[in-house]
Amino acid sequence: MTGARINKEMKIGGFICSLYLIWAIGWLLYQFFIQGSFSQPYFPSYDITQELLPLGGKYLLGTDIYGRSIFEVLSSGLIYSLTVSLIVSFACAAIGIVMGYLSVTAHASIAILFDLIINLIFVFPSILIAILIMSVSGQSLTGLIFALIITGWPGYARIARGETMRVMSLSYVEAAKAIGVGRLRLFMKVVLPAILPLLLIHIVLGVSGVIISEASLGFLGLGGSEYSWGSMLAVAKTVLLEAPQMVVILSFAMAGLIIGLNLLGDGLRDFLDTQNKS
Amino acid sequence: MASKIRKLLYSLVTIFLAITAIFFIIRLSPGDPIEKILGPEASVTDIEKYREQLGLNLSIGKQYINYLQGFFTGDLGESLFKKKSVVELLKTHLPPSVILAIVATFFSTIFGVILGVISAAKKSSGFDFSFRFISLLALSFPIFSLAPLLVLFFSIKLNWLPVSEWLSFKHGILPAITLIIPLSSVLSRVTRNKYLEEEHGPWVQVLTAKGMSDFSVILRVAKVCLPSVLNVVAIQLSVVLAGTMITETIFDIPGIGSLLFEGIQNRDYPVVQGIIIYSTVIYMGVYFLIDILNEFIDPRINS
Repeated sequence: MTGARINKEMKIGGFICSLYLIWAIGWLLYQFFIQGSFSQPYFPSYDITQELLPLGGKYLLGTDIYGRSIFEVLSSGLIYSLTVSLIVSFACAAIGIVMGYLSVTAHASIAILFDLIINLIFVFPSILIAILIMSVSGQSLTGLIFALIITGWPGYARIARGETMRVMSLSYVEAAKAIGVGRLRLFMKVVLPAILPLLLIHIVLGVSGVIISEASLGFLGLGGSEYSWGSMLAVAKTVLLEAPQMVVILSFAMAGLIIGLNLLGDGLRDFLDTQNKS
Repeated sequence: MASKIRKLLYSLVTIFLAITAIFFIIRLSPGDPIEKILGPEASVTDIEKYREQLGLNLSIGKQYINYLQGFFTGDLGESLFKKKSVVELLKTHLPPSVILAIVATFFSTIFGVILGVISAAKKSSGFDFSFRFISLLALSFPIFSLAPLLVLFFSIKLNWLPVSEWLSFKHGILPAITLIIPLSSVLSRVTRNKYLEEEHGPWVQVLTAKGMSDFSVILRVAKVCLPSVLNVVAIQLSVVLAGTMITETIFDIPGIGSLLFEGIQNRDYPVVQGIIIYSTVIYMGVYFLIDILNEFIDPRINS
Protein backbone atom coordinates (compact mmCIF):
# COMPACT_ATOMS: atom_id res chain seq x y z
CA MET A 1 0.00 0.00 0.00
CA THR A 2 2.81 2.38 0.74
CA GLY A 3 4.08 1.96 -2.80
CA ALA A 4 1.46 4.26 -4.30
CA ARG A 5 2.51 7.86 -4.25
CA ILE A 6 0.71 10.90 -5.42
CA ASN A 7 2.37 11.48 -8.78
CA LYS A 8 3.33 14.63 -10.60
CA GLU A 9 0.50 14.44 -13.11
CA MET A 10 -2.07 14.31 -10.34
CA LYS A 11 -0.49 17.28 -8.64
CA ILE A 12 -0.36 19.48 -11.75
CA GLY A 13 -3.78 18.33 -12.96
CA GLY A 14 -5.29 18.81 -9.52
CA PHE A 15 -3.74 22.26 -9.28
CA ILE A 16 -5.13 23.36 -12.65
CA CYS A 17 -8.55 21.93 -11.86
CA SER A 18 -8.67 23.68 -8.51
CA LEU A 19 -7.78 26.99 -10.18
CA TYR A 20 -10.79 26.57 -12.44
CA LEU A 21 -12.93 25.54 -9.49
CA ILE A 22 -11.90 28.65 -7.56
CA TRP A 23 -12.68 30.72 -10.64
CA ALA A 24 -16.13 29.10 -10.91
CA ILE A 25 -16.93 29.56 -7.23
CA GLY A 26 -15.66 33.14 -7.29
CA TRP A 27 -17.87 33.92 -10.25
CA LEU A 28 -20.90 32.30 -8.60
CA LEU A 29 -20.33 34.43 -5.50
CA TYR A 30 -19.97 37.52 -7.66
CA GLN A 31 -23.04 36.62 -9.66
CA PHE A 32 -25.31 35.87 -6.73
CA PHE A 33 -24.01 37.94 -3.83
CA ILE A 34 -21.74 40.80 -4.88
CA GLN A 35 -23.05 42.19 -8.16
CA GLY A 36 -26.45 40.54 -8.26
CA SER A 37 -28.65 39.00 -5.60
CA PHE A 38 -30.04 35.54 -5.14
CA SER A 39 -33.37 36.42 -6.69
CA GLN A 40 -31.75 38.49 -9.41
CA PRO A 41 -28.43 36.99 -10.40
CA TYR A 42 -26.06 39.07 -12.45
CA PHE A 43 -25.47 38.18 -16.09
CA PRO A 44 -22.96 39.79 -18.44
CA SER A 45 -24.47 43.04 -19.71
CA TYR A 46 -24.58 44.26 -23.28
CA ASP A 47 -23.09 47.53 -24.41
CA ILE A 48 -23.01 47.56 -28.18
CA THR A 49 -20.90 50.74 -28.29
CA GLN A 50 -18.08 48.83 -26.58
CA GLU A 51 -17.79 45.97 -29.06
CA LEU A 52 -14.59 44.03 -29.73
CA LEU A 53 -12.33 45.98 -27.43
CA PRO A 54 -8.80 44.59 -27.12
CA LEU A 55 -7.19 43.15 -24.00
CA GLY A 56 -6.64 45.32 -20.96
CA GLY A 57 -8.42 48.48 -19.99
CA LYS A 58 -11.78 48.51 -18.27
CA TYR A 59 -12.71 45.03 -19.49
CA LEU A 60 -10.01 42.63 -18.38
CA LEU A 61 -9.99 40.46 -21.50
CA GLY A 62 -11.73 42.87 -23.88
CA THR A 63 -15.27 42.55 -25.20
CA ASP A 64 -17.13 40.36 -27.69
CA ILE A 65 -19.25 41.43 -30.65
CA TYR A 66 -22.17 42.40 -28.41
CA GLY A 67 -19.95 44.49 -26.19
CA ARG A 68 -20.03 42.05 -23.29
CA SER A 69 -16.95 41.56 -21.18
CA ILE A 70 -15.25 38.42 -22.47
CA PHE A 71 -14.12 37.54 -18.97
CA GLU A 72 -17.69 37.61 -17.67
CA VAL A 73 -19.05 35.64 -20.62
CA LEU A 74 -16.23 33.13 -20.22
CA SER A 75 -17.04 32.76 -16.52
CA SER A 76 -20.73 32.13 -17.22
CA GLY A 77 -19.66 29.62 -19.84
CA LEU A 78 -17.43 27.88 -17.30
CA ILE A 79 -20.32 27.47 -14.86
CA TYR A 80 -22.54 26.22 -17.66
CA SER A 81 -19.90 23.81 -18.98
CA LEU A 82 -19.11 22.40 -15.56
CA THR A 83 -22.77 21.99 -14.61
CA VAL A 84 -23.67 20.19 -17.82
CA SER A 85 -20.61 17.96 -17.80
CA LEU A 86 -20.94 16.99 -14.13
CA ILE A 87 -24.65 16.18 -14.45
CA VAL A 88 -24.06 14.20 -17.63
CA SER A 89 -21.01 12.33 -16.36
CA PHE A 90 -22.57 11.25 -13.08
CA ALA A 91 -25.83 10.29 -14.73
CA CYS A 92 -23.94 8.27 -17.34
CA ALA A 93 -21.83 6.59 -14.67
CA ALA A 94 -24.92 5.69 -12.63
CA ILE A 95 -26.80 4.28 -15.61
CA GLY A 96 -23.64 2.56 -16.84
CA ILE A 97 -22.96 0.82 -13.52
CA VAL A 98 -26.50 -0.52 -13.22
CA MET A 99 -26.75 -1.59 -16.84
CA GLY A 100 -23.29 -3.13 -16.77
CA TYR A 101 -24.14 -5.07 -13.63
CA LEU A 102 -27.48 -6.23 -14.99
CA SER A 103 -25.98 -7.29 -18.30
CA VAL A 104 -23.77 -9.71 -16.35
CA THR A 105 -26.08 -10.96 -13.63
CA ALA A 106 -29.58 -10.76 -15.07
CA HIS A 107 -31.41 -13.57 -16.79
CA ALA A 108 -29.66 -14.63 -20.00
CA SER A 109 -32.24 -13.20 -22.41
CA ILE A 110 -32.21 -9.78 -20.69
CA ALA A 111 -28.43 -9.87 -20.59
CA ILE A 112 -28.26 -10.44 -24.34
CA LEU A 113 -30.70 -7.60 -24.95
CA PHE A 114 -28.69 -5.19 -22.79
CA ASP A 115 -25.53 -6.28 -24.49
CA LEU A 116 -27.06 -5.57 -27.87
CA ILE A 117 -28.25 -2.11 -26.82
CA ILE A 118 -24.87 -1.23 -25.33
CA ASN A 119 -23.03 -2.37 -28.46
CA LEU A 120 -25.50 -0.64 -30.74
CA ILE A 121 -25.14 2.76 -29.11
CA PHE A 122 -21.42 2.22 -28.75
CA VAL A 123 -20.80 1.75 -32.46
CA PHE A 124 -23.32 4.42 -33.43
CA PRO A 125 -21.39 7.63 -34.12
CA SER A 126 -22.23 9.58 -30.98
CA ILE A 127 -22.13 13.06 -32.47
CA LEU A 128 -24.78 12.01 -34.97
CA ILE A 129 -27.15 10.77 -32.26
CA ALA A 130 -26.61 14.01 -30.40
CA ILE A 131 -27.21 16.09 -33.53
CA LEU A 132 -30.28 14.04 -34.31
CA ILE A 133 -31.76 14.46 -30.85
CA MET A 134 -30.89 18.16 -30.69
CA SER A 135 -32.28 18.89 -34.12
CA VAL A 136 -35.54 17.19 -33.19
CA SER A 137 -35.90 18.41 -29.62
CA GLY A 138 -34.92 21.95 -30.47
CA GLN A 139 -32.20 23.85 -28.69
CA SER A 140 -32.89 23.31 -25.04
CA LEU A 141 -30.80 22.50 -22.02
CA THR A 142 -32.80 19.37 -21.18
CA GLY A 143 -32.53 18.17 -24.77
CA LEU A 144 -28.78 18.71 -24.69
CA ILE A 145 -28.30 16.87 -21.40
CA PHE A 146 -30.53 14.06 -22.60
CA ALA A 147 -28.60 13.77 -25.87
CA LEU A 148 -25.25 13.67 -24.08
CA ILE A 149 -26.44 11.08 -21.56
CA ILE A 150 -27.84 8.83 -24.30
CA THR A 151 -24.52 8.83 -26.11
CA GLY A 152 -22.37 8.72 -23.00
CA TRP A 153 -23.57 5.87 -20.82
CA PRO A 154 -22.59 2.86 -22.96
CA GLY A 155 -18.92 3.68 -22.44
CA TYR A 156 -19.38 3.39 -18.68
CA ALA A 157 -21.56 0.31 -19.07
CA ARG A 158 -18.77 -1.46 -20.94
CA ILE A 159 -16.28 -0.73 -18.19
CA ALA A 160 -18.75 -1.66 -15.47
CA ARG A 161 -19.57 -4.86 -17.32
CA GLY A 162 -15.93 -5.91 -17.58
CA GLU A 163 -15.23 -5.10 -13.96
CA THR A 164 -18.39 -6.80 -12.73
CA MET A 165 -17.42 -9.92 -14.62
CA ARG A 166 -13.97 -9.84 -13.05
CA VAL A 167 -15.31 -9.28 -9.54
CA MET A 168 -18.07 -11.86 -9.80
CA SER A 169 -15.59 -14.63 -10.52
CA LEU A 170 -13.50 -13.91 -7.42
CA SER A 171 -13.72 -16.58 -4.75
CA TYR A 172 -15.10 -14.35 -1.99
CA VAL A 173 -17.99 -13.33 -4.24
CA GLU A 174 -18.67 -16.95 -5.08
CA ALA A 175 -18.70 -17.68 -1.36
CA ALA A 176 -21.12 -14.82 -0.74
CA LYS A 177 -23.38 -16.08 -3.48
CA ALA A 178 -23.18 -19.60 -2.05
CA ILE A 179 -24.47 -18.54 1.36
CA GLY A 180 -27.36 -16.81 -0.36
CA VAL A 181 -26.50 -13.10 -0.36
CA GLY A 182 -29.16 -11.29 -2.38
CA ARG A 183 -28.50 -9.59 -5.67
CA LEU A 184 -29.01 -6.07 -4.37
CA ARG A 185 -26.80 -6.61 -1.35
CA LEU A 186 -24.13 -8.20 -3.53
CA PHE A 187 -24.24 -5.15 -5.76
CA MET A 188 -24.02 -2.63 -2.91
CA LYS A 189 -21.41 -4.45 -0.82
CA VAL A 190 -19.21 -6.13 -3.39
CA VAL A 191 -19.53 -4.83 -6.90
CA LEU A 192 -19.93 -1.14 -6.24
CA PRO A 193 -16.86 -0.72 -4.00
CA ALA A 194 -14.79 -2.77 -6.42
CA ILE A 195 -15.60 -0.79 -9.54
CA LEU A 196 -15.85 2.72 -8.12
CA PRO A 197 -12.11 3.55 -8.26
CA LEU A 198 -11.89 2.58 -11.92
CA LEU A 199 -15.06 4.49 -12.72
CA LEU A 200 -13.71 7.55 -10.95
CA ILE A 201 -10.90 7.77 -13.51
CA HIS A 202 -13.40 7.51 -16.30
CA ILE A 203 -15.62 10.15 -14.77
CA VAL A 204 -12.70 12.59 -14.60
CA LEU A 205 -11.74 11.85 -18.21
CA GLY A 206 -15.42 11.74 -19.13
CA VAL A 207 -16.02 15.25 -17.81
CA SER A 208 -13.44 16.62 -20.22
CA GLY A 209 -15.01 14.54 -22.98
CA VAL A 210 -18.45 15.95 -22.25
CA ILE A 211 -17.06 19.49 -22.19
CA ILE A 212 -15.69 18.90 -25.70
CA SER A 213 -18.88 17.23 -26.97
CA GLU A 214 -21.05 19.97 -25.55
CA ALA A 215 -18.83 22.63 -27.07
CA SER A 216 -18.87 20.82 -30.43
CA LEU A 217 -22.67 20.89 -30.43
CA GLY A 218 -22.60 24.52 -29.37
CA PHE A 219 -20.22 25.27 -32.20
CA LEU A 220 -22.63 23.67 -34.68
CA GLY A 221 -25.41 25.86 -33.33
CA LEU A 222 -27.02 23.13 -31.26
CA GLY A 223 -25.95 24.27 -27.82
CA GLY A 224 -28.18 24.66 -24.81
CA SER A 225 -27.06 28.14 -23.85
CA GLU A 226 -25.65 31.29 -25.39
CA TYR A 227 -22.77 30.98 -22.92
CA SER A 228 -21.66 27.63 -24.31
CA TRP A 229 -17.94 27.90 -25.10
CA GLY A 230 -18.61 26.25 -28.43
CA SER A 231 -21.16 28.80 -29.56
CA MET A 232 -18.87 31.59 -28.34
CA LEU A 233 -16.08 30.14 -30.47
CA ALA A 234 -18.43 29.99 -33.43
CA VAL A 235 -19.03 33.71 -32.99
CA ALA A 236 -15.35 34.42 -32.41
CA LYS A 237 -14.48 32.59 -35.63
CA THR A 238 -16.54 35.06 -37.66
CA VAL A 239 -14.48 37.97 -36.35
CA LEU A 240 -11.13 36.22 -36.69
CA LEU A 241 -9.61 39.10 -38.65
CA GLU A 242 -10.93 41.96 -36.54
CA ALA A 243 -10.45 40.41 -33.13
CA PRO A 244 -8.09 37.45 -33.21
CA GLN A 245 -7.58 37.70 -29.45
CA MET A 246 -11.09 36.36 -28.86
CA VAL A 247 -10.39 32.98 -30.45
CA VAL A 248 -7.07 32.74 -28.66
CA ILE A 249 -8.52 33.54 -25.23
CA LEU A 250 -11.45 31.17 -25.61
CA SER A 251 -9.28 28.35 -26.95
CA PHE A 252 -6.73 28.59 -24.21
CA ALA A 253 -9.31 28.91 -21.44
CA MET A 254 -10.99 25.75 -22.67
CA ALA A 255 -7.73 23.90 -23.34
CA GLY A 256 -6.52 24.70 -19.83
CA LEU A 257 -9.49 23.03 -18.21
CA ILE A 258 -9.24 20.02 -20.51
CA ILE A 259 -5.50 19.63 -19.86
CA GLY A 260 -6.15 19.81 -16.13
CA LEU A 261 -8.83 17.13 -16.23
CA ASN A 262 -6.82 14.86 -18.54
CA LEU A 263 -3.71 15.12 -16.39
CA LEU A 264 -5.74 14.41 -13.27
CA GLY A 265 -7.37 11.39 -14.92
CA ASP A 266 -4.07 10.01 -16.25
CA GLY A 267 -2.44 10.58 -12.89
CA LEU A 268 -5.27 8.83 -11.05
CA ARG A 269 -4.96 5.87 -13.38
CA ASP A 270 -1.24 5.52 -12.75
CA PHE A 271 -1.85 5.98 -9.04
CA LEU A 272 -4.43 3.20 -8.89
CA ASP A 273 -2.28 0.97 -11.12
CA THR A 274 0.71 1.16 -8.81
CA GLN A 275 -1.57 0.71 -5.83
CA ASN A 276 -2.97 -2.47 -7.31
CA LYS A 277 0.46 -3.82 -8.11
CA SER A 278 2.00 -3.24 -4.71
CA MET B 1 -14.58 -18.21 -42.51
CA ALA B 2 -17.66 -18.98 -40.42
CA SER B 3 -16.66 -16.32 -37.92
CA LYS B 4 -16.35 -13.75 -40.70
CA ILE B 5 -19.79 -14.55 -42.02
CA ARG B 6 -21.17 -14.31 -38.50
CA LYS B 7 -19.51 -10.94 -38.11
CA LEU B 8 -20.91 -9.74 -41.42
CA LEU B 9 -24.41 -10.86 -40.43
CA TYR B 10 -24.02 -9.22 -37.06
CA SER B 11 -22.94 -5.96 -38.67
CA LEU B 12 -25.87 -6.02 -41.10
CA VAL B 13 -28.26 -6.54 -38.20
CA THR B 14 -26.63 -3.67 -36.30
CA ILE B 15 -26.93 -1.34 -39.28
CA PHE B 16 -30.55 -2.32 -39.72
CA LEU B 17 -31.24 -1.68 -36.05
CA ALA B 18 -29.44 1.65 -36.33
CA ILE B 19 -31.57 2.93 -39.20
CA THR B 20 -34.66 1.71 -37.37
CA ALA B 21 -33.55 3.56 -34.26
CA ILE B 22 -33.02 6.75 -36.28
CA PHE B 23 -36.55 6.50 -37.61
CA PHE B 24 -38.10 6.09 -34.20
CA ILE B 25 -36.02 8.80 -32.55
CA ILE B 26 -37.27 11.26 -35.15
CA ARG B 27 -40.91 10.14 -35.13
CA LEU B 28 -41.40 9.59 -31.43
CA SER B 29 -39.73 12.74 -30.22
CA PRO B 30 -42.09 15.33 -28.76
CA GLY B 31 -43.22 18.24 -30.88
CA ASP B 32 -44.38 18.50 -34.44
CA PRO B 33 -41.50 18.96 -36.88
CA ILE B 34 -43.84 20.71 -39.33
CA GLU B 35 -44.75 23.37 -36.82
CA LYS B 36 -41.09 23.86 -36.10
CA ILE B 37 -40.29 24.20 -39.78
CA LEU B 38 -43.10 26.60 -40.58
CA GLY B 39 -43.15 28.50 -37.31
CA PRO B 40 -46.07 29.26 -35.02
CA GLU B 41 -47.89 31.50 -37.51
CA ALA B 42 -48.32 28.88 -40.22
CA SER B 43 -51.82 28.30 -41.57
CA VAL B 44 -53.54 24.93 -41.17
CA THR B 45 -53.58 24.29 -44.93
CA ASP B 46 -49.86 24.93 -45.17
CA ILE B 47 -49.22 22.52 -42.36
CA GLU B 48 -51.38 19.88 -44.01
CA LYS B 49 -49.62 20.36 -47.33
CA TYR B 50 -46.20 19.93 -45.77
CA ARG B 51 -47.36 16.96 -43.79
CA GLU B 52 -48.50 15.23 -46.93
CA GLN B 53 -45.28 16.11 -48.75
CA LEU B 54 -43.24 14.51 -45.99
CA GLY B 55 -45.58 11.54 -45.72
CA LEU B 56 -46.31 12.27 -42.08
CA ASN B 57 -50.07 11.89 -42.50
CA LEU B 58 -49.75 8.11 -42.80
CA SER B 59 -49.79 5.64 -39.92
CA ILE B 60 -46.47 5.00 -38.22
CA GLY B 61 -46.23 1.48 -39.63
CA LYS B 62 -46.76 2.73 -43.18
CA GLN B 63 -44.24 5.49 -42.62
CA TYR B 64 -41.70 2.95 -41.47
CA ILE B 65 -42.22 0.79 -44.54
CA ASN B 66 -41.92 3.83 -46.80
CA TYR B 67 -38.80 4.82 -44.96
CA LEU B 68 -37.16 1.42 -45.43
CA GLN B 69 -38.21 1.36 -49.06
CA GLY B 70 -36.73 4.80 -49.55
CA PHE B 71 -33.54 3.76 -47.84
CA PHE B 72 -32.98 0.71 -50.03
CA THR B 73 -33.98 2.38 -53.27
CA GLY B 74 -31.90 5.46 -52.48
CA ASP B 75 -34.88 7.78 -52.32
CA LEU B 76 -34.84 9.93 -49.22
CA GLY B 77 -37.19 12.66 -50.33
CA GLU B 78 -36.50 16.21 -51.39
CA SER B 79 -34.80 19.01 -49.60
CA LEU B 80 -37.34 21.48 -48.28
CA PHE B 81 -35.34 24.49 -49.42
CA LYS B 82 -33.21 23.45 -52.35
CA LYS B 83 -34.99 22.06 -55.38
CA LYS B 84 -32.95 18.89 -55.28
CA SER B 85 -33.37 15.40 -53.91
CA VAL B 86 -31.48 14.48 -50.78
CA VAL B 87 -29.55 11.75 -52.56
CA GLU B 88 -28.41 14.18 -55.23
CA LEU B 89 -27.21 16.61 -52.57
CA LEU B 90 -25.37 13.82 -50.81
CA LYS B 91 -23.69 12.73 -54.02
CA THR B 92 -22.25 16.16 -54.71
CA HIS B 93 -21.23 16.76 -51.10
CA LEU B 94 -19.77 13.38 -50.26
CA PRO B 95 -16.45 13.42 -52.18
CA PRO B 96 -14.68 16.26 -50.31
CA SER B 97 -15.64 14.77 -46.94
CA VAL B 98 -14.54 11.29 -47.87
CA ILE B 99 -11.23 12.53 -49.29
CA LEU B 100 -10.57 14.60 -46.19
CA ALA B 101 -11.47 11.76 -43.83
CA ILE B 102 -9.38 9.18 -45.68
CA VAL B 103 -6.33 11.43 -46.00
CA ALA B 104 -6.55 12.40 -42.34
CA THR B 105 -6.99 8.85 -41.08
CA PHE B 106 -4.24 7.50 -43.31
CA PHE B 107 -1.60 10.04 -42.32
CA SER B 108 -2.63 10.05 -38.68
CA THR B 109 -2.18 6.29 -38.49
CA ILE B 110 1.26 6.49 -40.08
CA PHE B 111 2.45 9.43 -37.98
CA GLY B 112 0.83 8.03 -34.86
CA VAL B 113 2.47 4.62 -35.14
CA ILE B 114 5.90 6.01 -36.05
CA LEU B 115 5.93 8.63 -33.30
CA GLY B 116 4.50 6.22 -30.75
CA VAL B 117 7.06 3.53 -31.50
CA ILE B 118 10.00 5.95 -31.41
CA SER B 119 8.78 7.44 -28.18
CA ALA B 120 8.31 4.02 -26.57
CA ALA B 121 11.61 2.61 -27.85
CA LYS B 122 13.41 5.64 -26.43
CA LYS B 123 11.40 5.74 -23.24
CA SER B 124 12.26 8.51 -20.77
CA SER B 125 14.43 10.30 -23.33
CA GLY B 126 14.08 13.96 -24.18
CA PHE B 127 12.15 13.00 -27.29
CA ASP B 128 9.73 10.87 -25.28
CA PHE B 129 9.14 13.61 -22.77
CA SER B 130 8.52 16.36 -25.29
CA PHE B 131 6.41 14.04 -27.41
CA ARG B 132 4.15 13.19 -24.50
CA PHE B 133 3.83 16.83 -23.56
CA ILE B 134 3.00 17.94 -27.11
CA SER B 135 0.50 15.15 -27.69
CA LEU B 136 -1.28 15.98 -24.44
CA LEU B 137 -1.38 19.63 -25.44
CA ALA B 138 -2.67 18.77 -28.91
CA LEU B 139 -5.49 16.72 -27.43
CA SER B 140 -6.61 19.60 -25.26
CA PHE B 141 -7.55 21.83 -28.18
CA PRO B 142 -10.82 20.60 -29.68
CA ILE B 143 -10.95 20.81 -33.46
CA PHE B 144 -13.12 23.91 -33.53
CA SER B 145 -10.60 25.84 -31.48
CA LEU B 146 -7.54 24.27 -33.12
CA ALA B 147 -8.73 25.18 -36.62
CA PRO B 148 -9.16 28.93 -36.04
CA LEU B 149 -5.80 28.99 -34.25
CA LEU B 150 -4.12 27.30 -37.22
CA VAL B 151 -5.82 29.71 -39.61
CA LEU B 152 -4.68 32.60 -37.47
CA PHE B 153 -1.09 31.40 -37.53
CA PHE B 154 -0.57 29.91 -41.00
CA SER B 155 -2.96 31.98 -43.08
CA ILE B 156 -3.22 35.36 -41.44
CA LYS B 157 0.12 35.74 -39.69
CA LEU B 158 2.42 33.85 -42.06
CA ASN B 159 0.17 34.05 -45.13
CA TRP B 160 1.32 30.62 -46.31
CA LEU B 161 -1.97 28.87 -46.91
CA PRO B 162 -5.43 29.94 -48.05
CA VAL B 163 -8.05 30.48 -45.35
CA SER B 164 -11.02 28.67 -46.79
CA GLU B 165 -12.81 27.07 -49.71
CA TRP B 166 -11.97 23.92 -51.61
CA LEU B 167 -10.29 24.74 -54.89
CA SER B 168 -6.82 23.23 -55.00
CA PHE B 169 -4.42 20.96 -53.17
CA LYS B 170 -3.23 23.91 -51.13
CA HIS B 171 -6.72 24.49 -49.81
CA GLY B 172 -6.80 20.99 -48.39
CA ILE B 173 -3.60 21.22 -46.36
CA LEU B 174 -4.89 23.18 -43.39
CA PRO B 175 -8.13 21.19 -42.96
CA ALA B 176 -6.13 17.96 -43.16
CA ILE B 177 -3.62 19.19 -40.57
CA THR B 178 -6.50 20.18 -38.31
CA LEU B 179 -7.72 16.61 -38.34
CA ILE B 180 -4.32 14.94 -38.28
CA ILE B 181 -3.02 16.70 -35.17
CA PRO B 182 -5.54 15.35 -32.63
CA LEU B 183 -5.98 11.97 -34.28
CA SER B 184 -2.27 11.20 -34.58
CA SER B 185 -1.84 12.27 -30.95
CA VAL B 186 -4.41 9.74 -29.77
CA LEU B 187 -2.97 7.00 -31.95
CA SER B 188 0.61 7.66 -30.93
CA ARG B 189 -0.32 7.48 -27.27
CA VAL B 190 -2.09 4.18 -27.84
CA THR B 191 0.88 2.85 -29.82
CA ARG B 192 3.28 3.91 -27.11
CA ASN B 193 1.30 2.17 -24.35
CA LYS B 194 0.83 -0.99 -26.37
CA TYR B 195 4.51 -1.08 -27.35
CA LEU B 196 5.60 -0.77 -23.73
CA GLU B 197 3.30 -3.67 -22.86
CA GLU B 198 4.67 -5.95 -25.57
CA GLU B 199 8.31 -4.92 -25.38
CA HIS B 200 9.24 -7.25 -22.54
CA GLY B 201 7.45 -10.36 -23.77
CA PRO B 202 9.49 -13.57 -23.85
CA TRP B 203 9.39 -13.75 -27.63
CA VAL B 204 11.10 -10.38 -27.84
CA GLN B 205 13.85 -11.63 -25.58
CA VAL B 206 14.29 -14.65 -27.80
CA LEU B 207 14.67 -12.45 -30.87
CA THR B 208 17.23 -10.28 -29.12
CA ALA B 209 19.09 -13.32 -27.83
CA LYS B 210 19.25 -14.77 -31.31
CA GLY B 211 21.11 -11.65 -32.33
CA MET B 212 18.49 -9.84 -34.34
CA SER B 213 19.30 -6.18 -34.80
CA ASP B 214 17.58 -3.65 -32.59
CA PHE B 215 15.86 -2.09 -35.53
CA SER B 216 14.32 -5.37 -36.72
CA VAL B 217 13.14 -6.17 -33.21
CA ILE B 218 11.45 -2.78 -32.98
CA LEU B 219 9.71 -3.45 -36.29
CA ARG B 220 8.46 -6.83 -35.07
CA VAL B 221 7.09 -5.37 -31.85
CA ALA B 222 5.48 -2.55 -33.81
CA LYS B 223 3.71 -5.08 -36.02
CA VAL B 224 2.23 -6.78 -33.00
CA CYS B 225 0.88 -3.43 -31.81
CA LEU B 226 -0.87 -2.76 -35.10
CA PRO B 227 -4.22 -4.51 -34.43
CA SER B 228 -4.76 -2.57 -31.20
CA VAL B 229 -3.95 0.65 -33.00
CA LEU B 230 -6.34 -0.17 -35.83
CA ASN B 231 -8.98 -0.98 -33.25
CA VAL B 232 -8.58 2.48 -31.82
CA VAL B 233 -8.74 3.88 -35.36
CA ALA B 234 -12.14 2.20 -35.65
CA ILE B 235 -13.29 3.67 -32.37
CA GLN B 236 -11.92 7.07 -33.36
CA LEU B 237 -13.80 7.02 -36.67
CA SER B 238 -16.68 8.64 -34.89
CA VAL B 239 -14.31 11.43 -33.91
CA VAL B 240 -13.03 11.65 -37.49
CA LEU B 241 -16.60 11.92 -38.70
CA ALA B 242 -17.48 14.66 -36.25
CA GLY B 243 -14.13 16.34 -36.85
CA THR B 244 -14.58 16.31 -40.60
CA MET B 245 -17.99 17.89 -40.25
CA ILE B 246 -16.75 20.63 -37.96
CA THR B 247 -13.61 21.20 -40.05
CA GLU B 248 -15.74 21.62 -43.15
CA THR B 249 -17.91 24.27 -41.60
CA ILE B 250 -14.82 26.16 -40.51
CA PHE B 251 -12.98 26.00 -43.82
CA ASP B 252 -16.07 26.39 -46.00
CA ILE B 253 -15.57 23.03 -47.67
CA PRO B 254 -18.68 21.91 -49.56
CA GLY B 255 -18.86 18.50 -47.88
CA ILE B 256 -21.58 16.71 -45.94
CA GLY B 257 -20.59 18.58 -42.78
CA SER B 258 -21.45 21.91 -44.36
CA LEU B 259 -24.60 20.39 -45.79
CA LEU B 260 -25.61 19.10 -42.38
CA PHE B 261 -24.82 22.42 -40.74
CA GLU B 262 -26.93 24.24 -43.30
CA GLY B 263 -29.70 21.67 -42.91
CA ILE B 264 -29.76 22.17 -39.15
CA GLN B 265 -29.87 25.94 -39.50
CA ASN B 266 -32.75 25.78 -42.00
CA ARG B 267 -34.53 22.93 -40.21
CA ASP B 268 -34.34 20.98 -43.43
CA TYR B 269 -35.43 17.66 -41.92
CA PRO B 270 -35.13 15.35 -44.94
CA VAL B 271 -31.55 16.52 -45.52
CA VAL B 272 -30.53 16.15 -41.87
CA GLN B 273 -32.12 12.73 -41.67
CA GLY B 274 -30.56 11.58 -44.95
CA ILE B 275 -27.07 12.69 -43.94
CA ILE B 276 -27.33 10.99 -40.59
CA ILE B 277 -28.61 7.74 -42.08
CA TYR B 278 -25.97 7.51 -44.77
CA SER B 279 -23.07 8.58 -42.61
CA THR B 280 -24.13 6.06 -40.00
CA VAL B 281 -24.19 3.29 -42.57
CA ILE B 282 -20.84 4.28 -44.09
CA TYR B 283 -19.30 4.66 -40.67
CA MET B 284 -20.52 1.29 -39.47
CA GLY B 285 -19.42 -0.34 -42.69
CA VAL B 286 -15.88 0.93 -42.20
CA TYR B 287 -15.98 0.01 -38.53
CA PHE B 288 -16.76 -3.60 -39.29
CA LEU B 289 -14.31 -3.65 -42.17
CA ILE B 290 -11.51 -2.75 -39.78
CA ASP B 291 -12.77 -5.42 -37.41
CA ILE B 292 -12.39 -8.04 -40.13
CA LEU B 293 -9.08 -6.59 -41.30
CA ASN B 294 -7.74 -7.00 -37.77
CA GLU B 295 -8.44 -10.68 -37.90
CA PHE B 296 -6.24 -11.00 -40.97
CA ILE B 297 -3.34 -9.17 -39.35
CA ASP B 298 -3.54 -11.08 -36.10
CA PRO B 299 -5.56 -14.33 -36.29
CA ARG B 300 -5.28 -14.74 -32.51
CA ILE B 301 -7.84 -11.99 -31.98
CA ASN B 302 -10.87 -14.14 -32.54
CA SER B 303 -9.71 -17.25 -30.76
